[in-house]
Amino acid sequence: MSENISRRDFLKLATVGAATSAVLTGCGPSSRYIKREPYMEMPEYTYNGLSTYYATTCRECAAGCGLVVRTMQGRAIKVEGNASNPVNLGKTCARGQATLHGLYNPDRVENPLKHARGTSIEIRIDESVTWDDAIQVVADALKNNDPSEIGFLMGMAPDHLFDLVSDLAASIGAPAPLRYGALSMFEARATLIKASENLFGQAALPFFDIANADLVLSFGANFLETWLSPVAYTRGFAKMRRGNPKRRGHFIQFESRISQTAAKADEWIPLLPGTEGLVALAIGRLAAEAKGGAIPKAFADVNPREVASMSDVSMEKLEHIAQLVAEAESAIAIPGGSALGLNNGLQAAQAVLALNALVDNFGKPGGVSLSPLAPNEDEYHRPASAQEMNEFVGKMKSGGVKVLFVHGVNPIFELPASLGFADALASVPQVISFATFPDETALQADYIFPDHHGLESWGYQRSATGVSQSVLSGAQPAVSPNYDTRATADVLLAAAQMAGGKFAEALPFKDEVEFIQSKLVNLIGEADGFFSAPEINTFSAYFQQHGGWWKKSSELVAASASSALDKSLQVEAAEFAGEGEYFFLPFVAPTLGEAGANKPWLQELPDPTTTVMWNTWVEMNPETAHHEGIENDDVIKIVSEAGEVEAPVYLYPAIRPDTVAMPFGQGHTAYGRYAAGRGVNPANLLGSHFNEAGDLTFAGMKVKIEKTARKQILSRLESRIGVYNEGLEEH
Amino acid sequence: MGIDLNLVGAKGAIAEEAEGKWGMVIDQDICTGCQACVAACAMENNLPFVGEEDAAYGRTMHWIRVERFWEGAYPEIKATPFQPMLCQQCGHAPCEPVCPVFATPHSEAEQINLQVYNRCVGTRYCANNCPYQVRSFNWRDYHTQPFHANDVDGQLVFPFHNQFNPDVTVRRRGVMEKCTFCIQRIHTAQDKAKSEGREVEDGEFTTACAQACPANAITFGRMDDHESLVSQLAHQKHGVKHLEELNTLPRITYLKEG
Repeated sequence: MSENISRRDFLKLATVGAATSAVLTGCGPSSRYIKREPYMEMPEYTYNGLSTYYATTCRECAAGCGLVVRTMQGRAIKVEGNASNPVNLGKTCARGQATLHGLYNPDRVENPLKHARGTSIEIRIDESVTWDDAIQVVADALKNNDPSEIGFLMGMAPDHLFDLVSDLAASIGAPAPLRYGALSMFEARATLIKASENLFGQAALPFFDIANADLVLSFGANFLETWLSPVAYTRGFAKMRRGNPKRRGHFIQFESRISQTAAKADEWIPLLPGTEGLVALAIGRLAAEAKGGAIPKAFADVNPREVASMSDVSMEKLEHIAQLVAEAESAIAIPGGSALGLNNGLQAAQAVLALNALVDNFGKPGGVSLSPLAPNEDEYHRPASAQEMNEFVGKMKSGGVKVLFVHGVNPIFELPASLGFADALASVPQVISFATFPDETALQADYIFPDHHGLESWGYQRSATGVSQSVLSGAQPAVSPNYDTRATADVLLAAAQMAGGKFAEALPFKDEVEFIQSKLVNLIGEADGFFSAPEINTFSAYFQQHGGWWKKSSELVAASASSALDKSLQVEAAEFAGEGEYFFLPFVAPTLGEAGANKPWLQELPDPTTTVMWNTWVEMNPETAHHEGIENDDVIKIVSEAGEVEAPVYLYPAIRPDTVAMPFGQGHTAYGRYAAGRGVNPANLLGSHFNEAGDLTFAGMKVKIEKTARKQILSRLESRIGVYNEGLEEH
Repeated sequence: MGIDLNLVGAKGAIAEEAEGKWGMVIDQDICTGCQACVAACAMENNLPFVGEEDAAYGRTMHWIRVERFWEGAYPEIKATPFQPMLCQQCGHAPCEPVCPVFATPHSEAEQINLQVYNRCVGTRYCANNCPYQVRSFNWRDYHTQPFHANDVDGQLVFPFHNQFNPDVTVRRRGVMEKCTFCIQRIHTAQDKAKSEGREVEDGEFTTACAQACPANAITFGRMDDHESLVSQLAHQKHGVKHLEELNTLPRITYLKEG
């Protein structure tokens, strides 16, 4: 980097050249990085005791929240929300706050390397892999393979890299890149979108205007935890409760355990797993009756009394809720999560969305609309469903993939083991990972060419839902790279140039920033933007300064579903795979998410409902446990048709007696010192069954439990003394 | 601002002082228990993490924690509203008089409870006497445990040290610590206002927990300014103070459901 002009020199020149308008434009790529300087050689733009702030985008999940990073002497000190970004309006979740523990994690991949599959990154085949070698390897992989046998696996973020790879794949005739994330599997996103397509004729993500509703019915949607865009939905929830001084919104959650979201509900309905759709239909019918007039065809065939006897929700309860729905000014019903991860999940989603049709809230405040497309988006590209991933695994197994590029996703951990991704990887002759951290999938790759951490990176992320405006959040480096890493986009661009021919034509850009600008240039002159500029350099300077570009006014698409109630809705009986007597409910750990386990402060955040830290637990109703002779911290074995795991029990008073639940997020075998060897992965219990929309039926498993003789004391914040009279005798 | 209790009207003066200078309001009806405040506090104030074993012994260094309790039994069970618990910056703080080395004095200027790290000798009397259980003790030098370091050419390098907030002291073993109402932010805002020849405005800055809170459940500001948002919120009907009967004069008001 030394031969290039540094940011410091550039600023000097800029001052001399009287180019010191408020916005600096035209920086070369390397000068866009901020160097970490010793205190002795302070860059002129930093003063002792004063911080420099950079607007960027959070990459801990795909929601695209804006961040402002406080830096001092080139070190990132603290992350705050970007107050002007409409997605999060200055707020962050715990994972966003802890993103610095990824940046400064002691277990990052520090340079490009070649190693034997399955071994630690310390053991290298070739000590001297340089970035030039890396680019050569990527170029050869692109050039020497048939395009149809090249595979790209991407994470849910960042979007600019997905666009770059999509463009590359399209022009060389390779299959489009697949995107996947465990969050999208556990929120059953494909099912939600399919239901929306069936109902509205458009495969878009619905937007639920919780903020303006006075009655919220949520069927398994954990919108205060990890669901879709949790910071935005938390803001909506707060407004629903406190936004209108004349009324306090009422919130009912249907779920078999009290999740963090259900803990905020005014009423928690622990229905029998798999009856969510039926309960929605029964409520619809009773509400239609309470309103008077004809019963819509959608609800005509359901017998509420039958539903009451099947679902463990009493007739009085159903009538009471139906009455609330009939009387509410703006009721809203949200389908999500465990209610959709079932063989009847698509029908359940449609039944719940039909409730919205009954109260006629489509496109209205406090109702359901379709999320606007982000700027520069042609249509909503949903992540791959588990079934699509399964098909891809099949292709890998049959030798249809000769080289696999992996970025931003850890499928060995995030996909259920029963899909056999790890085994299929052995059939791929060459695997190239761009992982920032040594995760399980990276360790099974031949090469790791590490990408920068998100706070060292350029990029952009589209806001998919949660906000009424159309938003493109922008990312820029807040610090210069800590290690010898390189932006994956730059590696691919350089490799394409080296490969020449159609590859070079596909990506005629000198670097990542030029590629991003080629996408931003279309936004110049777009109406209703909160800023605009006459040419691209100024535009992208503003884009950096503000942390993105978005529309000023709401662009929600009013969903038209006049026929939603015209045909009868059926919900089949749910099927459960396996022989055990307990329903099994895996849920995403609210504070860890799918990739937070290597951040020690996230590990030390108590789980909101159990207060357990640093480990995996099994939630079990105290009555059930007593019956089985199980006590707190007893290690039990959970056996499903797909596998078995052992974990300590947490006696959880707020779960159905016939259900056991486990958090997803721990159970890594790699991924650095804070994650590896800690807890177990409940995805190992999930069989490969899919619903109509292609989502895994992760909530449709039955498991057996077996006692072991072991005990493992869980670290929890709450005191054990006095909980279920425990410890009282001894103390 | 000492009050001479022998003067006529001392009772009124005490009531006024009970408001304090800085205060906080936490709305439990919208707190979702998401732990963003806990993480934000840790990142701002150089809090160390202690690991699984020490956490199990109750040695975590959270300056703020979110409490939840259960009411009833299945199926009629309810989680009580999430309750973020942090130092209440009491006007009559039980932790203060028990310190033998005056490491927990009351700030006259800011009217909050201070913790003077370089005076603290680690008797832990203050933590024993705190009815809110919000003080945490450094049982080890957590920041310099070799487990967190990488060996680079024979030297231990701690990448996490890059993240230290230079405005906040890094505490060592044997020292008590607790929430400071982000006093470094208070001072920064005051210095800035002073250099610009004005008063600190309401909402100009806030604590790390309040800044992060996605639900906006935490509000921080001047209690002695009756126009401020925090003061307006604190005087709503459903505001309560915890363990008020101990006459600790807590500076944090909790808003109940409803």
